[in-house]
Amino acid sequence: MERFAAILQQSILAVRAFKLRTFFCVVSVALGISSITIIVAATEGAFKKAFDMVALFGPDSLLVISGSEEARAIGQREKTLTLEDVQAVREAFPGAYVVAPSTAMPDTTIAYRDKKYQSIVVGSTSDFSRAWTWPVVEGADLTEDDVRGLRNVAILGSHVVDELFGDEDPVGKYIFVKGIPVQVVGVLSERGTTPTGQNMDNRLIMPITTVMRKMQNERKYVSVFRVRFVDQNKLIQYEEELRLLLRQRHRLAPDAPDSFRIISPKEIIKFLAALTGSLVVFLGIVGIISLVVAGFVLANLFLLSVRERTKEIGIRRSVGAKRSDIRLQFLGEAVTLTTLGGIIGFVSALGASRLLTLIAAFPIHFSWKAFVVGLLLSWFVGIAFGLQPASRAANLEPIEAIRT
Amino acid sequence: MPLCVLEDVKKTYRIGEDEVEVLKGINLQVERGEFIAIMGPSGSGKTTLMNIIGCLDIPSSGRYILADKEVTHLSDDELSVLRNEHIGFVFQNFYLLPYATVLENVLLPTLYMEHSKNGLARKRAREILELVGLSDRAKFKPNQLSGGQQQRVAIARALINNPDLILADEPTGQLDSKTAGEIMDLLAKMNEQGKTVAVITHDAGTAAYARKTLRIRDGLIVD
Repeated sequence: MERFAAILQQSILAVRAFKLRTFFCVVSVALGISSITIIVAATEGAFKKAFDMVALFGPDSLLVISGSEEARAIGQREKTLTLEDVQAVREAFPGAYVVAPSTAMPDTTIAYRDKKYQSIVVGSTSDFSRAWTWPVVEGADLTEDDVRGLRNVAILGSHVVDELFGDEDPVGKYIFVKGIPVQVVGVLSERGTTPTGQNMDNRLIMPITTVMRKMQNERKYVSVFRVRFVDQNKLIQYEEELRLLLRQRHRLAPDAPDSFRIISPKEIIKFLAALTGSLVVFLGIVGIISLVVAGFVLANLFLLSVRERTKEIGIRRSVGAKRSDIRLQFLGEAVTLTTLGGIIGFVSALGASRLLTLIAAFPIHFSWKAFVVGLLLSWFVGIAFGLQPASRAANLEPIEAIRT
Repeated sequence: MPLCVLEDVKKTYRIGEDEVEVLKGINLQVERGEFIAIMGPSGSGKTTLMNIIGCLDIPSSGRYILADKEVTHLSDDELSVLRNEHIGFVFQNFYLLPYATVLENVLLPTLYMEHSKNGLARKRAREILELVGLSDRAKFKPNQLSGGQQQRVAIARALINNPDLILADEPTGQLDSKTAGEIMDLLAKMNEQGKTVAVITHDAGTAAYARKTLRIRDGLIVD
């Protein structure tokens, strides 16, 4: 063990002595390792992001949106889902513990005293908080009486509170929504922005009845409804049953497209995979190519080095180094170099990924896993490409080595 | 039992199709505490003889016994151990590692010891550097030293493992005559302190320091 350590010390001595070789080997390995580290971190980041998004969306939830995919693609917002649909779903799925319709009025002007702000008014039932796992942190939630009685009450998203009230306590105050006075009863917890950059806290929630009757002059159609199931393992099955039920209710011909869209957690993951997939493939190819190139750079520089240092090998053999000692020293040099390259690669990956997240909002998550993968790969390159030069060094005959 | 015993040692090299017999039956004994010179012109086989005595190579036929061990049929690893424990080489071109300090160069043989005592080795290295008059140069690199100083470092390296035999191959070949004299004085001093020293040279002045001189010509000891 002491001998092992002593010989590795010689490796480090040589790594420090042959600076140009060290520089080229370290740079080429660092390039490869940094792109592979980014891949691992990006894959992990994507998974984590998907996990977070699914958790936020609700792994037991489906969201049904009015309007076919085609209509949505051309920017139309047709309303196809009705309150009767919602009621039918409620009755057809006893396994659903929440079925909550909502309707949205984007770009609605709201006002408090002399302040005005554009926000989204969401009409919902008293289930809103439960349907979206979005707790009311100040004041009170909407009640069933609020909904039944078409009351002019609202709970506000935290962004709206900041814009209209600043430090003032909003609970109990009156605001104007489309000119109608509405009392603030509660404030929602902060939720942040969606991956598409939408501020989720810029909204206020009112009873769906109030919004439909008093603001939209609407008795029938809703924008979306959300369903949450007790048994999330059957979600795929529920989704299919729900689709059939709605198609039947909307009397769609067998070859007609759906007049609605169902968003499930699965779909969120698909979306994210599409977002990150191409970059991961690109970086993967770059990473593997640059690692192989790094390996050959290393092997060539080491063969050159062995030739140049023949006399050194002869000296070491003459004072008692065995073949295995020489092999260990050169392998040690290779692995030291690639380890250095690996560490520098990891650090530059940290920097590069910061840039990536800045310019592309790319989800990247660094963990010990990315570091370990990079380190193991750099060791692998060091051993795989260092072995042949090291063996060549070890197999030099001492009398020939010393005479050159 | 003498330190080195060579009995009818022959060495043949293959060069392409031809076999060249470089040593044609060497009989030689080196007693402990001796200071011998092996003299011969270039091409006489003296370098091959040194390689065999130094366990860098093995005879094609005949026997070689070093410190009561039969060397003739040892493996590469066993030869390495023998070199490490019994032989201290001094070469014509000093052969120091250019990127290591004087102290690191002197310590080199201790790295490859079977049972190393690293703490003791550093202390011993300093003592030996003192002995060769270079204790103030321990942190220097070889290229900061004169030729004579470099050869002193090489001698210190040869001494560090307390070998039975100092084997010097043209130790003065790269030095001016004054420095050469100093180096030979140092080797003579080592011999006085009990070391067995063998010097291979073609230079009569160098050989004169030895207490016994053997001449080799065409692969045979001639007297």
